[in-house]
Amino acid sequence: MDVFLPIAQVFVNPIEILLLSAIVGVLSGLFGVGGGFLMTPFLIFLGVPPAYAVANEANNILATSVSGSTTHYLKNTLDYKMGLMIVIGGTIGTALGIYIFTYFKGIGKIDTVISLAYMYILAIIGTLMLVESLGEIDRAKRNLIVKKKLHVHYWIHGLPLRMRFPKSKLYESIFTPIIIGLFVGFIAAIMGIGGAFILVPAMIYIIKMPTKLVPGTSLFVTIFVSVIVTFLHSFNFGSIDLMLVVMLVIGSIIGVQIGQKLGEKIDSSGLKALLAILLLIVGIAIAYETFFAEQTEKEIIQVLTSDLNFFSIFILEFSEDMPFFYGLFSIMFAILLGVGAALIRRVFSNFKKKMLLKKS
Amino acid sequence: MSISNVKIINKLSNSKATFIKTGIFVSLAAYWGVILVGTFITFN
Repeated sequence: MDVFLPIAQVFVNPIEILLLSAIVGVLSGLFGVGGGFLMTPFLIFLGVPPAYAVANEANNILATSVSGSTTHYLKNTLDYKMGLMIVIGGTIGTALGIYIFTYFKGIGKIDTVISLAYMYILAIIGTLMLVESLGEIDRAKRNLIVKKKLHVHYWIHGLPLRMRFPKSKLYESIFTPIIIGLFVGFIAAIMGIGGAFILVPAMIYIIKMPTKLVPGTSLFVTIFVSVIVTFLHSFNFGSIDLMLVVMLVIGSIIGVQIGQKLGEKIDSSGLKALLAILLLIVGIAIAYETFFAEQTEKEIIQVLTSDLNFFSIFILEFSEDMPFFYGLFSIMFAILLGVGAALIRRVFSNFKKKMLLKKS
Repeated sequence: MSISNVKIINKLSNSKATFIKTGIFVSLAAYWGVILVGTFITFN
């Protein structure tokens, strides 16, 4: 049972999208990394053109980031001041990324650029994760304890314009979070990811934030970066497809909640090596498709407007007639779903606690 | 005799670990080689 995506102009199987989105959501909930760098390649493999996969996945990440961030807001584990500094850099980086995206789209090379970017990012992250996790397993077997220096200072810690960040108990240059945000925003705009895999280690090892504030602040930053990426993609290229977004968001929000619950119960450190291998396999698949697979001309299936259902026609007309409001609507839709999911989880959690108290 | 048996077993397990590590290293090197060469050919 295939569904036609009116904006992306391709047929997709909604069950496949929902399942894949849920599985990637479980992985991101379990490991605390964004699913963007897995979901976008999967969308490309399912036939969604890369430029559309990037934009719609950014919208999906917005919803999951809002959901996660709301949970952290309710637990008060967010440093807003630090987050806003990173967002300032992220805004500049995103604008730059969209400019580069537009350039490559104009010369018809954007699909190759996105595929190459994913190939290298997956190869780098997969290699680093695999080496690190195998090293950890090796050290655990030998009962080796590695003493690490408590404070390591890089050139970035000598930058001017220092500011106090009371929540994180830090006093450092505002350029540090801004430069990190710039890099994250740039990558997010090109690849349609949240950037958590750069943000989280940067916050821990470069900015030296307390670990408990890192996930919430990272998600908070991802919200703003994803909003800007989604809006600019929608307004400049008209590539947000609400039909696809709905499927992605529903699957990933359910998956993330399951993944977070699983993460509380099982030790994920041993599974990190498996995740690294998965990333490398996806990278190999992208490399094969980019370099070796025969580039066959895809049959262009023309679907007449009269054949579309009401929802598809509505999306098409809304996107063409009012691109600005369509972009805003996509963003608000993702935010509402994200907040709704977080609140529903909180209600269930409180209900469960009450039931446990009654039993005891 | 029992001490030399233990030594042999330790050597075997170390060889196994070394073999696995070498295999992983060679696979990663091949992977990186393919994508670097592929990128070069694509842009050449």
